[in-house]
Amino acid sequence: MAARTINLFAVSSVVMVCFLSQNVEAGTPAPSEQPLDFATDIRPLLSDACFSCHGPDPEHREAELRLDLKETVFADHNGQSLIVPGKPAESLIYQRMTATDESERMPPVDSGKKLTASDLAKIRRWIEAGAPWASHWAFQAPVKSAIPAVSKQELIQNPIDAFVLEKLEQQQLSFSRPADRTTLLRRLSLDLIGLPPSIEEIDSFLADKSTDAYRKQVARLLASPHYGERWGRLWLDAARYADSNGYEKDAPREVWLYRDWVIDALNQNMPYDRFIIEQVAGDLLPQATQDQKIATGFMRNSMLNEEGGIDPEEFRMAAMFDRMDTIGKSVLGLTLQCSQCHSHKYDPLTHENYYQIFACINNSYEASMRGYTDEEQQQREKLFTEIDSIERSLKTSMPDWPQRLAAWEKQVQQNQPVWHVMKLKNVDSNSQRYMEQPDHSMLAQGYAPSRFTSNFEAEIDASEITAIRLELLNHPNLPAGGPGRAISGLCALTDIKLNVENTEDATQKTTIKFTEATADFSNPRLQLNFPYEDQKGVRGFTGPVSYAIDGDNSTAWGIDAGPGRLNQPHEAVFRAEKPFGYQEGSKLTISLVQMHGGWNSDNNQTMNLGRFRISWSNSPQAQADPVPDHVREILAIPDAERTSRQQDQVFSYWRTTVPEWKTENERIEAIWKQHPEGTTQLVYQERPQPRQTHLLDRGDFLKQKQVVQPGVPGFLNSLPTDGPVNRLTFARWLVDRQSPTTARAIVNRVWQAYFGQGIVTTSEDLGSQGAAPTHRKLLDWLAVWFMDEGWDLKKLHTLIVTSRTYQQSSRVSPALYTKDPYNRLLARGPRYRVDAEIVRDIALKASGLLNPEIGGPSVYPPAPAFLFDKPASYGPKTWNVEEDADRYRRAIYTFRFRSVPYPMLQAFDAPNGDISTVKRTRSNTPLQALTTLNETLFMECAISLAETVLSSPQDSEDHRIETAFRRCVSRYPAAEEKQVLTRFLNRQRQYFHEHPEEATQITATKKLKESTTDFAAWVALSRVLLNMDETITKE
Amino acid sequence: MNNINHPAHPIARRWFLQQCGMGVGAIAVNQLLQESGYAAGSKSDPSKDPLAARQPHHPPAAKNIIFLFMGGGPSHLELFDNKPVLGKFDGKLPPEDLLKGYRAAFINPNSKFLGPKFKFAKHGECGAELSELLPHLAEVVDDIAIVKSMKTDAFNHAPAQIQALTGSQLFGKPSLGAWTVYGLGSESKNLPGFVVFSSGNKGPSGGSSCWGSGFLPSTHQGVMFRGGQEPVLYLQNPPGVSAQLQRDSLDTLKALNQNHLDQVGDPEIATRINSFEMAYRMQSSAPDVMDLGQETRETLEMYGAEPGKTSFANNCLLARRLVERGVRCVQLFHESWDQHGGLVSGLKSNCKATDQASAALVKDLKQRGLLKDTLVVWGGEFGRTPMVQGGNDGRDHHPNAFTMWLAGGGIKGGTTIGGSDDFGFNVIEDEVPVYDLHATILHLLGLNPDRLSFRFQGLDQKLIGVNPAKIVTKILA
Repeated sequence: MAARTINLFAVSSVVMVCFLSQNVEAGTPAPSEQPLDFATDIRPLLSDACFSCHGPDPEHREAELRLDLKETVFADHNGQSLIVPGKPAESLIYQRMTATDESERMPPVDSGKKLTASDLAKIRRWIEAGAPWASHWAFQAPVKSAIPAVSKQELIQNPIDAFVLEKLEQQQLSFSRPADRTTLLRRLSLDLIGLPPSIEEIDSFLADKSTDAYRKQVARLLASPHYGERWGRLWLDAARYADSNGYEKDAPREVWLYRDWVIDALNQNMPYDRFIIEQVAGDLLPQATQDQKIATGFMRNSMLNEEGGIDPEEFRMAAMFDRMDTIGKSVLGLTLQCSQCHSHKYDPLTHENYYQIFACINNSYEASMRGYTDEEQQQREKLFTEIDSIERSLKTSMPDWPQRLAAWEKQVQQNQPVWHVMKLKNVDSNSQRYMEQPDHSMLAQGYAPSRFTSNFEAEIDASEITAIRLELLNHPNLPAGGPGRAISGLCALTDIKLNVENTEDATQKTTIKFTEATADFSNPRLQLNFPYEDQKGVRGFTGPVSYAIDGDNSTAWGIDAGPGRLNQPHEAVFRAEKPFGYQEGSKLTISLVQMHGGWNSDNNQTMNLGRFRISWSNSPQAQADPVPDHVREILAIPDAERTSRQQDQVFSYWRTTVPEWKTENERIEAIWKQHPEGTTQLVYQERPQPRQTHLLDRGDFLKQKQVVQPGVPGFLNSLPTDGPVNRLTFARWLVDRQSPTTARAIVNRVWQAYFGQGIVTTSEDLGSQGAAPTHRKLLDWLAVWFMDEGWDLKKLHTLIVTSRTYQQSSRVSPALYTKDPYNRLLARGPRYRVDAEIVRDIALKASGLLNPEIGGPSVYPPAPAFLFDKPASYGPKTWNVEEDADRYRRAIYTFRFRSVPYPMLQAFDAPNGDISTVKRTRSNTPLQALTTLNETLFMECAISLAETVLSSPQDSEDHRIETAFRRCVSRYPAAEEKQVLTRFLNRQRQYFHEHPEEATQITATKKLKESTTDFAAWVALSRVLLNMDETITKE
Repeated sequence: MNNINHPAHPIARRWFLQQCGMGVGAIAVNQLLQESGYAAGSKSDPSKDPLAARQPHHPPAAKNIIFLFMGGGPSHLELFDNKPVLGKFDGKLPPEDLLKGYRAAFINPNSKFLGPKFKFAKHGECGAELSELLPHLAEVVDDIAIVKSMKTDAFNHAPAQIQALTGSQLFGKPSLGAWTVYGLGSESKNLPGFVVFSSGNKGPSGGSSCWGSGFLPSTHQGVMFRGGQEPVLYLQNPPGVSAQLQRDSLDTLKALNQNHLDQVGDPEIATRINSFEMAYRMQSSAPDVMDLGQETRETLEMYGAEPGKTSFANNCLLARRLVERGVRCVQLFHESWDQHGGLVSGLKSNCKATDQASAALVKDLKQRGLLKDTLVVWGGEFGRTPMVQGGNDGRDHHPNAFTMWLAGGGIKGGTTIGGSDDFGFNVIEDEVPVYDLHATILHLLGLNPDRLSFRFQGLDQKLIGVNPAKIVTKILA
């Protein structure tokens, strides 16, 4: 048996590597004699072969037998032992695994699972060795093991190298020689900032003979603002970032403030634990800043279904499941999703555990806020200071203002009629859904038609009704808080109509005529802007509230108070010509006509009311209350108990009613006009009232089972006890030092970004079924070190890139390739095609077209128009190709529609943001070749590269070829390469000389000093260079 | 130093030869395939080239599949599922217990029944019932199997389409086409293994995820083709780049890449060289396959195809041309079937646009001897309510019962299975959930639905999810 074991191990060197022991000294024993590590060698075998029927999931458990727990494995089973340490032949488990009778053998044939001869040999050896047991390695907090001793100590540049070399020496291997300096700087630059170095940067590095020349480059690149773009993009994959809602309508959404937050946070080297806390629960931090709220956009990158026929709660749940999956993959490195419908089959995560975690994050509004950039914030502060100073001077100018204010207050305190709120019932079958709120207001959710009428019924036990009042209210779920559903939070009421019917006798009914409409605010007559227009381009008007009773579908009551004051509640009162209602009871049918949206309801063109409440009164003088709600609320507080801020707010309103201050009030209004518009951002915002979480049978939101309290699974660290059990505490739990997987997961992914694969190759799953780590001690060492260093990502990068391991040449001999095709041992440096965005960015940088601007709204580089139109796209989408410098922004800023991915990025494997992605595939396809050869922007890059190299008229041709070549791949061309390129250039010169019309076509867009044929030949040459494998590869 | 214009040194050359066929990110994908257990123990090409044609699990009944996806949810009640009783109940409210626990997308479920709008008649030797809207399909009814007992879980378009095509309402899973190419590879060296077309009023509600590769290597995702000069994105050379320049550029590129391969030894470079060569071949093969001018007038007329137009008819004919050239999976989307209103006129125009071509596809494949190797599937994401929406000319989404048909390799023509109740509301016989349809399709393609799996997130993920494979044997030949 022993001999057979040796042979089995000899079959594949690659496989063997994974099973090598952790403690090897000089004079390595043959692999088969090395002790096995239960956690990485045996447990994965049991997990895969046994746990799905004999594991954590009780529902599918066979024979009441659990093989994932030590206590059940070593328990007495009717007098028999599953495992007799030291004696495989007496161990029932081994007997069953090796049974010759198929009906006896485990795992069963029909399970599709299989233990190979080498697996069985390992299990045998493990039992022979006494069957040492440990729980899954990744569920134990990592510990820093001693740095291994290696025979070639002189090769160790930092601890990483010791761990890597230890394994290499076990295989009688060593490091490759260091990469040459040019290759190294290009690699480093692509890795740290996602852009190739400029020729000047290479030359300066080559000329720097100081011993810390390389470290200086590391520091330079880590300080570059492009660092945040490069590493931010990787996080955005995990955060499933996209600029649209997904599903059918896939309307654009504004979330780029979150994207910029990620870039900024990384550039500022925010500690990783903080980085996670702010994204999961930034809104709950004490005195949360705007940025901390924006960070919760992470929780909102879920897709949103706005189909007509949806139940909003169903898709809120779909988004919750997505959040769970995302947190599992991106932060914990665990497959939480597996427990959505039933207990996990492999990891000890129960169905109930899943909903405990779910409950931690289930109490939030899917909110939208208005955010401001730094410049906008400064602008706001400036104008608020100006207003403040005018208000202070007003107070000085009128010493008796407190008395006058008090008199006003007294006068307005009791001047409002009694209003009775109606309980409304929507009677349409159209698809906007109305969620009744506790105050009987209606919150419009789901699909938003853009030109429609919604009808509500209310039964009222009153007659002699004189007026109805419509209140437009805010709600966190509305864009920027509402009160409307337009992307700005505005709305427009085209008309309001009212019919009344006798509740006892349907034949008695009247259409009510309104003769007076008043509002606390109306904007002056304004024509709506694009895109609020019909298909003929006709745009309606908003203006005074009388427009809501004029029966004219082109005019509406508007509440646009300008930037800074768009998102405030308003009210209108509509008085009837004469009192109405029936003694027996009145059924009111109120129609809210909303015809001021644009024609395409799938493209954020709605102008609908968002949240509203309707009341009635029988007061003959009922009119809209000009005093804003927030002021009314303060007036209800006894004067002495008001804060100074509240007093200021009352003053700020009151001053507008003082006739002597007309000039100053107008000045202040003029200042408000300078208020920046800001940008909306989807955020997560805690609800005041806790929402109950139920366990959902099979994950079906209609099948609620028992109530589940917030909590975390017992096999992981426990929740911090120094705070309430809420989302913030949960966020702190995620990044607790005791978390066994959080630091490992991120360190592993950073490693993956450098070397093409993680130490655990299944970076999305460190659980039982994940791949065993190739260098477990290294992973754990790095994880602990990372936490010890304050979760400092830039330090982690520095450590990795200054290792010998990282700096090795990536050239590979046939012998080494055969031995380790996947480079799991790291006997050479990484070499692979860069990520999609970097493919584009390299071309932009090499050609000189790159616009290096950081941040801002997403941009629209060239793309075929048909993709955004029917029938390629579900509905027409806006894609106005940039004609200015925004055309050449880095690919991270390309607008991302989920349903229509940007083709260049899709061709190179960029994920579309449907779900969290922590590991991209890396394909190599003809469609990629077609893209880099023929796509519009790549061709523009070829033209621009030609232009750049031709821009120095005194340069020799040789030098020009060198320059073009180096702009693409950093190194100088070899003599042979130069020869090939020169011949190509000359052939094309000749060719274009003979085909001048083609040369003209190529150069059509350029005003040239060079001859057209010469220029076209250079374009052809540049195009070849930009398409080289090496150009889009990190070597 | 090697001479750059001469063949590579032996090792690199050997790698190059091994990489023949579709390009692939060798390391990453090999690793995925090996980790998935797919290529475990196999020394054959699949691990080198995920798109190389592969042995199926068992002898296949069909080699290729053409899926005519009718997005929006065609009304089974007006097309296939004749319900005279429903006609008698027109205008009456449904029985209370029928609606228990039922959710509808738009309507109040307690809406009046709407009788069928079109007449039905029996056709063919099999005597299958079809509506008057489908006169062309009636001519091939003996070649198709009608499943009147389809059932799905979702009743909104995007989730239901994603379920119909990826097996799950949640995004992120590979599509049926991607699974097929993953399981079988592609027979074509010059064309993608999985090609997608879209016609109709709009694009599919599920977007590109309907043909996505999910967690499978991205080489398995569908490639959208369309009519016109540029059937594949970026297929045409940029303005001013002639065929000669393109060839010369590629030769030079190849020389440079080859030289670098010799230097650094990474076989991925050989794959890149190969990708460019195949791209070049596609530049001529794709326009060629898309050139309907090569078809006879009879063929064009049979489909109702008109060269140069974008239409479902053209796409059907193109689908035939693609499977003829070894394309494994062709997915046509025709998203026009969402008749909340305008039921009568909508169905008339949809059937006018699709009936003739769908039937012609079956006929044409048959007369060319391709039908036995090609599975044709017709259907949408759900059916429509027997209850009315709006006045009296619309129906809402309905997941409980709907109809699809299949034809070709392995299908018993002239079969009708399954049945719904008198209102076409619930399946009462031979229920076929979406995952059983998937199991059946895979089975016909020679793949074992239980075994076709890919390790992701610790699980052996399958198209049929955790459902045990159930083949719809009644429709098998």
